[in-house]
Amino acid sequence: MFACRTLLKQIRKKKRRKPHKSTSKTPKQNPNSRTQDSHEFSLKSQALGVQPLGNLYLASSHHNSRTTGLGTIQTLTDELILDILGLLEATHLGVLSTVSKSLYVFCNHEPIWKNLVLDSSPHGFLFKGSWKSTYVAKRYPNYYSKVGSLGLKVQDFYSDYLFQSWLCANLEMKDEWLVRDNIIRRKGISVDEFVRDFEGLNKPVLLEGCLDNWGAMKKWGRDYLVEVCGDVRFSVGPTQMTMNDYFVYADQAQEERPLYLFDPRFANKVTKLGQDYEVPVYFNEDLFSVLGDERPDYRWIIIGPAGSGSSFHIDPNSTSAWNAVVKGSKKWVLFPPDVVPPGVYPSADGAEVACPVSINEWFMNFYEATKTWKKRPVECVCKAGEVIFVPNGWWHLVINLEDSIAITQNFVSRRNLLNVLDFLKKPNASTLVSGTRDRVNLHDKFKKAIEASFPGTIDELAKEAEKKKAELEKLSFWDSVKDSNSGGFKFSF
Amino acid sequence: MTSSKTIVLRSSDGATFEVDEAVALHSLMIKHRIETGGADSTTIDVPEVTGNTLSKVIEYCKKHVEAPNSDDLKSFDTDFVKVDQAVLCHLAKASYYMNIKGLLDLSSKTIADMFKGKTVEQIRETFHIKNDFTPEEEEELRKENSWNLFV
Repeated sequence: MFACRTLLKQIRKKKRRKPHKSTSKTPKQNPNSRTQDSHEFSLKSQALGVQPLGNLYLASSHHNSRTTGLGTIQTLTDELILDILGLLEATHLGVLSTVSKSLYVFCNHEPIWKNLVLDSSPHGFLFKGSWKSTYVAKRYPNYYSKVGSLGLKVQDFYSDYLFQSWLCANLEMKDEWLVRDNIIRRKGISVDEFVRDFEGLNKPVLLEGCLDNWGAMKKWGRDYLVEVCGDVRFSVGPTQMTMNDYFVYADQAQEERPLYLFDPRFANKVTKLGQDYEVPVYFNEDLFSVLGDERPDYRWIIIGPAGSGSSFHIDPNSTSAWNAVVKGSKKWVLFPPDVVPPGVYPSADGAEVACPVSINEWFMNFYEATKTWKKRPVECVCKAGEVIFVPNGWWHLVINLEDSIAITQNFVSRRNLLNVLDFLKKPNASTLVSGTRDRVNLHDKFKKAIEASFPGTIDELAKEAEKKKAELEKLSFWDSVKDSNSGGFKFSF
Repeated sequence: MTSSKTIVLRSSDGATFEVDEAVALHSLMIKHRIETGGADSTTIDVPEVTGNTLSKVIEYCKKHVEAPNSDDLKSFDTDFVKVDQAVLCHLAKASYYMNIKGLLDLSSKTIADMFKGKTVEQIRETFHIKNDFTPEEEEELRKENSWNLFV
């Protein structure tokens, strides 16, 4: 039964795109692409020939086939048209695509077909080069072999929105976005040093040499994972699929937001995977473990191709995190809790974070701004064998620079226990708290369990926090007394 | 907390409409403007929407705010979108811009439904679209749609 999706939900998924001015970026090198003159972009093999609106003014003919091809609905914006097309079934889209060149371009917009595939494939899919081909092959297997790839190229279609969509899907990370690497790196430090210099101060750090004894470092790769995991299905976006099917997709995907495999129950599903790694010693304090099976999701395997990743967010439940790269490499951009990254618009209660559509778009439109900010972000490229510590409350963005496999865990230690309890106490906690089945009672359950396993700890920590707070306040009072500009009490001689 | 406060909405062509604040808040864009607007948030400019369209949008909001549980809400909605295509498109655009989910869903679904169950020729006729494919391209399209019984 085809479900009618509501538009604003889709819009929120896509978010509003800002017009992109410069086109000085180089598209990904594609063995199928030819060198171009300015009026005919050959995109990937599903080339449609969409050009940005600016080109229309340079073209010898000022005809935009978008205008004639849409008829009375040309006044609608591209985004609206795509949202409306997103309400249709495949057969309707197929018919519409034969109406005019303009509708051909719109109806073959891959994200529409991606949604059709994902909505109808709870148990995974076999990717066939494009989302449209994937859908047709699955739904009409008898016909698929007769369907050629999209052969039609349209030369006089101009649209900023669709062009930007193609651009974001095909850009490679520019070198200048990867150059800044200002995170502190440490190797072989003690747990006390880590707590004193980093966790206690809520500062990120990149740790080297912690994964040397991980079985995963020697064994994990595509062949091993496919063999060990067999038919077990893992979470990939809204669907569940086998490792093999996921790799088939990842190898061919060329889109703005590639799906990545992100499963919180990987070690439950395949015990061997859990045995191939161990938590680095710095992060052994894991207080949510007092909840046993009722604890929120806390560990994930992350597998994704170049370009996949996560745009700016703060980790749930006020936890801290560590992320270990087993294979590949990731670019990280981090901002402290009190600095909202450019281009990010959190709602007042923190429940919603609006970000640009894709990581590429953030880099294209907002990265430059960070160079002039006083509070620069912490950045690094984390390579295989390295672990990054992400302190609680820090904004972070991550993008895979190549095919990557990683393990990440979120945790609560005594350093952020009070923060977490405060967070869980909030009135809107039940909507914000993630990864657990019993959101409403989590605070009480957790507090009780901590008291049971570590009696007196919460009170002790609260006393320490009060002490610290009082010291800071005392300091600032005396600061203001000494400050001649404050108009406070001063001696006169 | 009920207030009989009214808000004035001003369209792109200068037409003004006085509405109850509760009705105006049905638009999340207006709600955001009011919440962040400060002192003078009694007149809100809506420069992307003409007077004619804004008047209809307000009519929709009024009905949905004042009588959300009425039995005739569904038939109201059905009749509301029985308008010509230009008006329908303006309603869709306005509801997108003004962030009025119900109206956006309603107008978009109406347009989507107009595509369904029609042949290519019927679609071209309904929306005044010219066929700009060459015969060779049409042949290519037929091949691409061999899976589709409706092409």
